[in-house]
Amino acid sequence: MKLDAVHYLQAVYRKMVDSASRPGHISDLRKEAGLAGTITGCSPSLLVMALTLLDQEVTFSVISNQADKVSKLINQLTYAKQTETAYADYIFILGDASRGALAEAIEKAKPGTLKNPHGSGTIIAEVDSVISGDPLFLTGPGIEETETVFMNVRDSWVEARRDKNREFPLGVDLMFIDQHHQLLYLPRTTQITESQVVA
Amino acid sequence: MNTAYNFAFFDEGSKREIRRATLKAIAIPGYQVPFASREMPIGRGWGTGGLQLTLSLIGRNDVLKVIDQGSDESVNAVNIKKLVCDTTGVETTEHTEEATLIQSRHRIPEVPLRKGQILVLQVPLPEPLRYYEPSESQTKKLHAEKEYSGAWLMLFEQIMKYGSMTTGADHPVLVNGRYVMAPSPIPRYDNPKMQQNDALILLGAGREKKVYAVPPYTKVVSLDFDDYHFQPESFEGKHCRLCGSTGVFLDELVDEAANKTVYQCNDTSYCLEKLNEVEKVGVN
Repeated sequence: MKLDAVHYLQAVYRKMVDSASRPGHISDLRKEAGLAGTITGCSPSLLVMALTLLDQEVTFSVISNQADKVSKLINQLTYAKQTETAYADYIFILGDASRGALAEAIEKAKPGTLKNPHGSGTIIAEVDSVISGDPLFLTGPGIEETETVFMNVRDSWVEARRDKNREFPLGVDLMFIDQHHQLLYLPRTTQITESQVVA
Repeated sequence: MNTAYNFAFFDEGSKREIRRATLKAIAIPGYQVPFASREMPIGRGWGTGGLQLTLSLIGRNDVLKVIDQGSDESVNAVNIKKLVCDTTGVETTEHTEEATLIQSRHRIPEVPLRKGQILVLQVPLPEPLRYYEPSESQTKKLHAEKEYSGAWLMLFEQIMKYGSMTTGADHPVLVNGRYVMAPSPIPRYDNPKMQQNDALILLGAGREKKVYAVPPYTKVVSLDFDDYHFQPESFEGKHCRLCGSTGVFLDELVDEAANKTVYQCNDTSYCLEKLNEVEKVGVN
């Protein structure tokens, strides 16, 4: 791995901050992912995100056909501990996970408590694309009026997310990373509608 | 650049911890996320919260501006700038527009912030409910239950005693209709700038070990009453004695020799830019 842990992970973090503070803003992680090299099991962009956020202080779970292998890799590289999805601080859903895995993970993930909403889980999911597919209309903090993103929505996660985030500040934050290493961040404050009502 | 330290002073583990807290803070606008708050080479209460946020954010391509009460050249600003530059080698600027990262103590710059900029505010007391509730577990409970009658009562008592809200600086705001938040001791004049701002605003309290955030385009409303509206400081009829600006936050100075009161821009870089503009016109 040619990745410089200091400077490139700082770049990844700043892109996460950009995408989190402006939901719908797509950040490009191609450069950092390219430096991470080829990894078997998960995409290099997912791995650089794990390297940016994880260490021995947090827990994670992986949902994939190769969950054991990828968990071992993440544990070895970050020292973070693997746990069940319901207790995990970070939940990785890989591209090969079964249909409905994302909705299920959203349902299971810890939403935090009213006193400590920051104790919630964060889901990082690999998807086909965050720039093509069905339109999703976003509103909420960080968005001036409306943002439109295009995603191949494979399962009913939008509804599951809406249910989970019903009682703000409880909820889960979602990050999507696509095959072209493009990052979309949907914090719990973002409202998603699948069709826009024309007034 | 001093290479005896890691880039941006911190070890990577410390940065990661602050980064995780910051992302949570952005996701829950106005909520104070606890973080570990490292020991810094400046005293707690001297901007360590802001400094830690800056160090966790900064990269080689950033352009940094640090201000203290509107001044680029005061001791606090200069020392923080020196520490960051010494450990990162980044470029610094006094021009608000050129900066990508602005750390500030008690002011939001006069020049409107733009998309892509990050404003880091230093916070001494992040808990707006602390004036009437000393217990942290109780204030956490009050935030959890959105029980903010005490905050309004505090303002009500000020009106009863003095005829108006006397907060001066740090007038509490309601963020995204959910959390009452201390906007740091910025003057009331700056409170409306937080509403629907184009830039991301991060607030860090080192001694109190909290970080919180106001994402861009977020609803930030200063607490007030239907019959007693929130009022920023008024500088009507006054202007800066140096650049002549009106409609900016002015410092009141007393010229003891002449025994009169004079006003001057609080934001020194803004004042300087205005003066330079005037000079250019004069030369041409």
